[in-house]
Amino acid sequence: MHMTQRDRPKERRGEPTGFAAFLRRVSLAEILRGLALTMKHLFTPSVTRQYPSEEREPFPGSRGLHALVRDPATGEAECVGCCLCAAMCPSKCIHIYTSEGENHGKVLNRYEIDTLRCVYCGFCVEACPYGAVVMTEHFAYSGYSKDAFLYTKERLLENWDRHFGEKKGRSYLERFWRPRRGDFSAKRSTDTSDREDR
Amino acid sequence: MSLIDVALMVLVIATMITLTLGHVAYAVYFERKVVAHMQGRLGPMRVGPHGFLQPIADGIKLFFKEDVIPSTADKTIFFMAPLISAFAALASIAVVPFWDGFAISHINIGLLYILALSSVGAYGVILGGWSSNSKYAFLGSLRSAAQVISYEIAMGMSLIGVILLAGSTDLATIVRAQSDYPFVLPQFLGFFVFLMAAIAETNRLPFDLPEAETELVAGYLTEYTGFRFSLFFVAEYAGMFIMSALATVCFLGGWHGPDFWIFAKVPGVVWFMLKVYGLVFFYFWIRATLPRYRYDQLMGLGWKVFIPLAMLNIAVTGLVKVASLPGNG
Repeated sequence: MHMTQRDRPKERRGEPTGFAAFLRRVSLAEILRGLALTMKHLFTPSVTRQYPSEEREPFPGSRGLHALVRDPATGEAECVGCCLCAAMCPSKCIHIYTSEGENHGKVLNRYEIDTLRCVYCGFCVEACPYGAVVMTEHFAYSGYSKDAFLYTKERLLENWDRHFGEKKGRSYLERFWRPRRGDFSAKRSTDTSDREDR
Repeated sequence: MSLIDVALMVLVIATMITLTLGHVAYAVYFERKVVAHMQGRLGPMRVGPHGFLQPIADGIKLFFKEDVIPSTADKTIFFMAPLISAFAALASIAVVPFWDGFAISHINIGLLYILALSSVGAYGVILGGWSSNSKYAFLGSLRSAAQVISYEIAMGMSLIGVILLAGSTDLATIVRAQSDYPFVLPQFLGFFVFLMAAIAETNRLPFDLPEAETELVAGYLTEYTGFRFSLFFVAEYAGMFIMSALATVCFLGGWHGPDFWIFAKVPGVVWFMLKVYGLVFFYFWIRATLPRYRYDQLMGLGWKVFIPLAMLNIAVTGLVKVASLPGNG
């Protein structure tokens, strides 16, 4: 039979029995120990942070507001419009619209993230074979309308500049979001057949 | 009694009530701070430096809240209940001897008067919960009724030892009888029983079953809002002050302090308030430490532990008193 802590005899639990147990109850030993503990905590510094005036540095790798990586060479988004992030997204909050450009290339027309539906799981970042979508450390954002939380391509690129920047963003890509094997070497090529981790 | 005497009396009473209300406001602040720090938090920090103006902000907020009265409530009793509670708590202040020779009213049954008024205060709780016509409030008031019966007996009995030693129920006489040593030394058992019964009497944790936020929303004051709610609050904190004052008077030597060196120069009221606030702190300390007792545990503790202990205390005190009478040597 399965024995819980409660079913086991007192001796086996290491608790006093008989007269010793009686003494322990009568002397209020446990309550006094509790009182001593709370008194000790009264003189221990509190762990509370006074949030708006006292902000904690975000832990490295934290997942906040999304951003699209800006290609320093062209100044445009690095996204190629493969839609893997949208396919992986469990809350289906990424909407991508592409069209055919010159030379049969793919042109990214719109890239929108509805952050009100996002659950901040980071799957989009993990799915992206090009390291083109990232999550910044910025988490405290607010607005007065629903539209304020619909992030378009332009706004997502702006997020990259404002909340991450080239250096920090690249370090995140390198440290946390690089594919488990290999790197973002497939960049600039829509052909992914040479990738090891397929 | 001339008109000037009456005017003076009214002035003293108004001053004492104002001081008590101020005490209530800052006892709430004190409690929130103490309990918060014991739990590793900071408590109120935003309104004023270290949240020092929080009680004033709370008071203003409570004052301007909508006064909601349930449509099925028994209106007359619903109106009266918080008044009864607050009245009983504030009226008890009248006989507390803050220092030698000062009490708003000198009556020679001060002890009985305070005990009687604290029972009247329980009526406010019971009637308030009952007249709200809500199941949570009703359960809270029923618990309060049962709790009052179990704990009032233990409380009254624990004070009989003090009455035997002092030979009086006059609070000032009881304090004067403790000029050599406080009664807590011979009456430690009575003191313990009194403290526990006082916690139950004022519905404080771990005996706050009539309120029991986790089970009964807010117990007897579930349906109360705004100013009526704050009257119950005043009653609770003033009641805590009264019970601490009574413990100070009966067991801790009232306005007497250490009688040597610089301590002898300190006025009696300072000693009195120090002891009272020490006990009020003890209330908060207990609250931060112990979880709420289960209902049957509370009853069992009252009837099977505290009342027999109080009886034992009376018997031993009586025997010692009789043995030490002249002629019984």
